[in-house]
Amino acid sequence: VPHNPHFPIIAEQDTDLGREVTYMYGQVADRMQACAADSVVFFTSDHYNIFFDTCVPIFSIGVADSTRGPSDYPDLPKYDLRLDPVLARHLQSQVVAAHFDVGMSQEFAVDHTVISPLHFLTPGLTVPVVPIFVSGFMRPLPTAQRCFEFGRALRRAIEEFPGDRRVAVVASGSISLEIGGPRIFEDHHTGVPDPQWLDRVVDLLAEGEFGKLVAHATDSQLARAGNAGGEILDWITMLGMTDPAPPEYLDVQPRFGHAFAAWSPTDGGRR
Amino acid sequence: MSVYAVNKFCRTVVHDQTFRESLRTEPQAALLNAMPPLADDELQALLRGDIGWLSRHGCNNFMLHNLGRFEVLGLDLPTFAARMRAEYRVERESWKRTGEWPERDAGGAAPTTLSEG
Repeated sequence: VPHNPHFPIIAEQDTDLGREVTYMYGQVADRMQACAADSVVFFTSDHYNIFFDTCVPIFSIGVADSTRGPSDYPDLPKYDLRLDPVLARHLQSQVVAAHFDVGMSQEFAVDHTVISPLHFLTPGLTVPVVPIFVSGFMRPLPTAQRCFEFGRALRRAIEEFPGDRRVAVVASGSISLEIGGPRIFEDHHTGVPDPQWLDRVVDLLAEGEFGKLVAHATDSQLARAGNAGGEILDWITMLGMTDPAPPEYLDVQPRFGHAFAAWSPTDGGRR
Repeated sequence: MSVYAVNKFCRTVVHDQTFRESLRTEPQAALLNAMPPLADDELQALLRGDIGWLSRHGCNNFMLHNLGRFEVLGLDLPTFAARMRAEYRVERESWKRTGEWPERDAGGAAPTTLSEG
């Protein structure tokens, strides 16, 4: 799902865009709620708020008891968010043992990339979250293949979790988006520099061709997609946890350079 | 030109309300207090709101756009965007000619006062 910080407000407005946003998030939220998840593993790329040039992990897991946000939009309502530190620490130890050198964050505030989607997907933000940060902005970025394999390792770690958890997985990010850079629209401070890439990604998602998507998501392609083009790595990490299949729901907002999609468990959700 | 100091300055604008307010009332003094210290050419460019020059010299465009978002240094988002387009006018025309970048507008769907990411 995307994470426009103003979508929660826009969705309350009696406009075509408000209705569209409500419908698209609603389609995903319905499937989330059908999962009756105990916890949500949530992939996002921090927008220079937790991590900055001072310290940039390629992957990091939030292991705190709780957090708060959004940290980057002081004019938006603040939410407290429960986390799942038991599952988070299990995931970190398991994936490190599987040769993924993943950092951890114990005290942090999340930005709009977490709060805005959860506003729609888990009303009241009552479901505990395991935030997993994928470095999608500060180069060098992880490769798409590495992200996909990281997702695979995380899935194995969840399947091996000794406790009882039904886990939903969310990825937050755009597909082609330029924010404040040279390739912005003539009438806005953002742009969609590579609409063909957006179309190709949506086609590959529709076909369940995760491997082809990984192969096409080269670093140069992500750069062409805009300065937020690395956010597709959050999607790709999530797809590593998902059985390759067409999504139950897929929709796109071309003027924003992003898409909505949802997959349900093929086995009914073992855990 | 350190670039890092400018990017860090932009981050402070997002996260430090007191610093933002001082930047609005006493911009030069606030810029002189920025940590790490800004180079003189960086400080002068920021005082001018010259985000084109800063972008050309390697500062992070996403971080720079926060100056427009928080309306400091004489910027707002439309002004920021206009200056960025003006700075890269030649490249933008070239990208359009070569089809490297099929420019179109936002279709009126996204109010100019909003910021995505």
